Amino acid sequence: MHLRPLRALPACTPLSGSLLVGILLIGGLSASAVAQDMDMHAGHNMDMPVMQGDSVLWRMPPMNMSMPMLPGMESEVPITAAYLPGAGLDPMSVPEARPFEIMDVKNGDTIHLQAGLVRRQIGDQTLVMMGYNGQYPGPLLRVDKGANINVHFVNAIDQPTTVHGHGLRLDDYRFDGIPGISQAPVESGESFLYKLNFPDTGLYWYHPHMREDVQQDLGLYGNMLVSPIEDDYYAPVNREQTLILDDILIDANGIIPYGESAPTHALMGRFGNVMLTNGVTDFSMDVRQGEVVRFFLTNVANSRTYNVVFGGNPIKIVASDVSKYEREMSVGSVVIAPAERYIVDVLFEDAGEVTVTNTVQAIDHFRGEFYPSIHNLATIRVSDTPADVSHADAFHKLRTNEDVVSDIDTFRPYFDKAPDKELELTVRVDNLPLPIMRMMEVDTLYVPPIEWNDAMPMMNWLSTGEQVEWLLREKSTGRESMDIEWTFEKDDVVKVRIFNTPDSFHPMNHPIHFHGQRFLVTHIDGVENPNLVWKDTTIIPVGSTVDLLVHMSNPGKWMAHCHIAEHLHAGMMLGFEVTE
Amino acid sequence: MKLPTLSVLGVVGALLLAATWMSFPSASDARIPVPVSACSDLDPDPPVYYAIDLVPTRKVPGTRMAEGQGDVTFATSPFGVSISENGQYVYNLSIAMEKVRLRDGQALDVWVTTPDLDKIRHIGRLDDELKTKGTVDWNKFLVVVTLESAAEDPGATWTGPIVARGMSRSGLMHTMAGHGPFESEPCAVYGYR
Repeated sequence: MHLRPLRALPACTPLSGSLLVGILLIGGLSASAVAQDMDMHAGHNMDMPVMQGDSVLWRMPPMNMSMPMLPGMESEVPITAAYLPGAGLDPMSVPEARPFEIMDVKNGDTIHLQAGLVRRQIGDQTLVMMGYNGQYPGPLLRVDKGANINVHFVNAIDQPTTVHGHGLRLDDYRFDGIPGISQAPVESGESFLYKLNFPDTGLYWYHPHMREDVQQDLGLYGNMLVSPIEDDYYAPVNREQTLILDDILIDANGIIPYGESAPTHALMGRFGNVMLTNGVTDFSMDVRQGEVVRFFLTNVANSRTYNVVFGGNPIKIVASDVSKYEREMSVGSVVIAPAERYIVDVLFEDAGEVTVTNTVQAIDHFRGEFYPSIHNLATIRVSDTPADVSHADAFHKLRTNEDVVSDIDTFRPYFDKAPDKELELTVRVDNLPLPIMRMMEVDTLYVPPIEWNDAMPMMNWLSTGEQVEWLLREKSTGRESMDIEWTFEKDDVVKVRIFNTPDSFHPMNHPIHFHGQRFLVTHIDGVENPNLVWKDTTIIPVGSTVDLLVHMSNPGKWMAHCHIAEHLHAGMMLGFEVTE
Repeated sequence: MKLPTLSVLGVVGALLLAATWMSFPSASDARIPVPVSACSDLDPDPPVYYAIDLVPTRKVPGTRMAEGQGDVTFATSPFGVSISENGQYVYNLSIAMEKVRLRDGQALDVWVTTPDLDKIRHIGRLDDELKTKGTVDWNKFLVVVTLESAAEDPGATWTGPIVARGMSRSGLMHTMAGHGPFESEPCAVYGYR
């Protein structure tokens, strides 16, 4: 017994109620269904070619094939058409991408940045992807604090795009890259001159702000490293290395297509099954025994939160998005949500090979259990040649950054004030396939604070931005997302309380990002944060209430949103204005 | 008589069916803005969702009416959420009991243990306000409150009777193997019986 007739009925119509669920469950119990596990994925064309004629074909993403298919889902595909930039192109017809280069950009310089198609090698596959200046990741822009630069951007991909300087507190919001708020989209073949300024030392990144679920996922991202003025701003180290963490969803036939009119994976975001560090699957580096290495970590994945472990070597956390911490701390791992950055020092005391891993406890919803999930991110070869200079003593000293403490002291009187704004994070769904609707109700007896893996790959893939609407809901007005109207004055100090409700169709963690400003995470679930750092993005776990103290330092029209690419494009954003 | 009876039954049946169908929100229903007052209260206290209800065994004199709750918040971390090197959540666990009458020389100790009971850790001894705090770095755990001698320090495990017990929210996560829509999958394949 197959339940295909169900597909002819639109879900969530009056006919899609209990009666049909009853039929569905009866179908699940029927004798003929017992045999379904042998071919339960047969309808999903997992071995289909990428294209048929001029059309990109859907094929189900790779998943654990021991997980049985929900009855009624055997041949469901997303409701949007399949889309894959560069599909049908001979990969050899596009330029081969090369590893990123460092661009030292001086105050007043104008640089050229072009988004285009590139040929990439991911494992043993040759793929058509995207890159800035033909590089993966895009060029590392190294500038001094206080610099002003121009970026002449050219769009050579087949979609409109923009460039957003993530974390930059720009003097002029018109260069923030937000289509419809700060600029018009840069159409294919057009160009735009961005004027960027860098008021804060630290690690930043740039990426598109249109269809990030596609463009960023295909490689449009790069770092900006703002050097300090002071020589002793950081403790001394032997070497520095940027690590951009990403993942990509591919199978034997290449990249799994994207949704043409709306993102797929709208419930949980698109988790990749292949880890990329600086754009490759086998990133490695050589260090000497006893060296202290400063790693600049950026998470550019669409949805994945990482728990980065350096093989048990000691880690000291130094800085995050927009500043150093008040006090350096020793940590065992680095938890980094999409769009966050962390600067950490790691001491390699012993010679040998160190594997950097993403070490999490994933969830198997079908079996109802946690299981250890470890992905290799990088290999660090520690030679037995001793470091030229030992910085071990400086490493072991946990500095208090008086400059940061002093800066934050100005804001401390506001820590305990009542919230100025209160948001609830939730979701509304409409017209998802009925089996998903029913299964989610059973499956959400327990929701973890953080989703470390795509625990429901089939249901997630089928959910599109046309059926799922992620919401920022304002408590005082009931307004939602872009209907929220916030206006502040320059240098207002605004407490924003965000509650990630567990009582929704699909609760999930959200990395919330404020454009153009900086904020402190003062409290989580009522517990005061004892060691502060200026942030532009922070994770809001399920069930938690997080207080952000936002310094509205930069006038202009800005945006705040979830940085899971699919959630953003499913509506989870609001606009706000800061007046002079 | 037959025809009217059938008609009534038919109407009742139709109403029941209609009620059944109406129990699912239609697309238009889902679009109605939720009134502000219907939003969840924004609460800066420990997450209610992950709170642990401590259920008394009602077997120990003086504790038969006992009530209690465990609250979890993330242990202090520069990342907001606190995660161990092996990927487990690291929680601060606060325990509060009430409606307990202890005799002189008695104390209540709080323990956490894995679902398999193969690891046990002492969280703390309830103070005069029947509260204690500790840290747990397991994703799924049980909380056990036991009656002990106040004169003796807690050992590696409890020795007295269990007064109350609770389960982390993650304990509600259950296998779907062999159940419901996955009935075609035999439980035994996955080690469940």
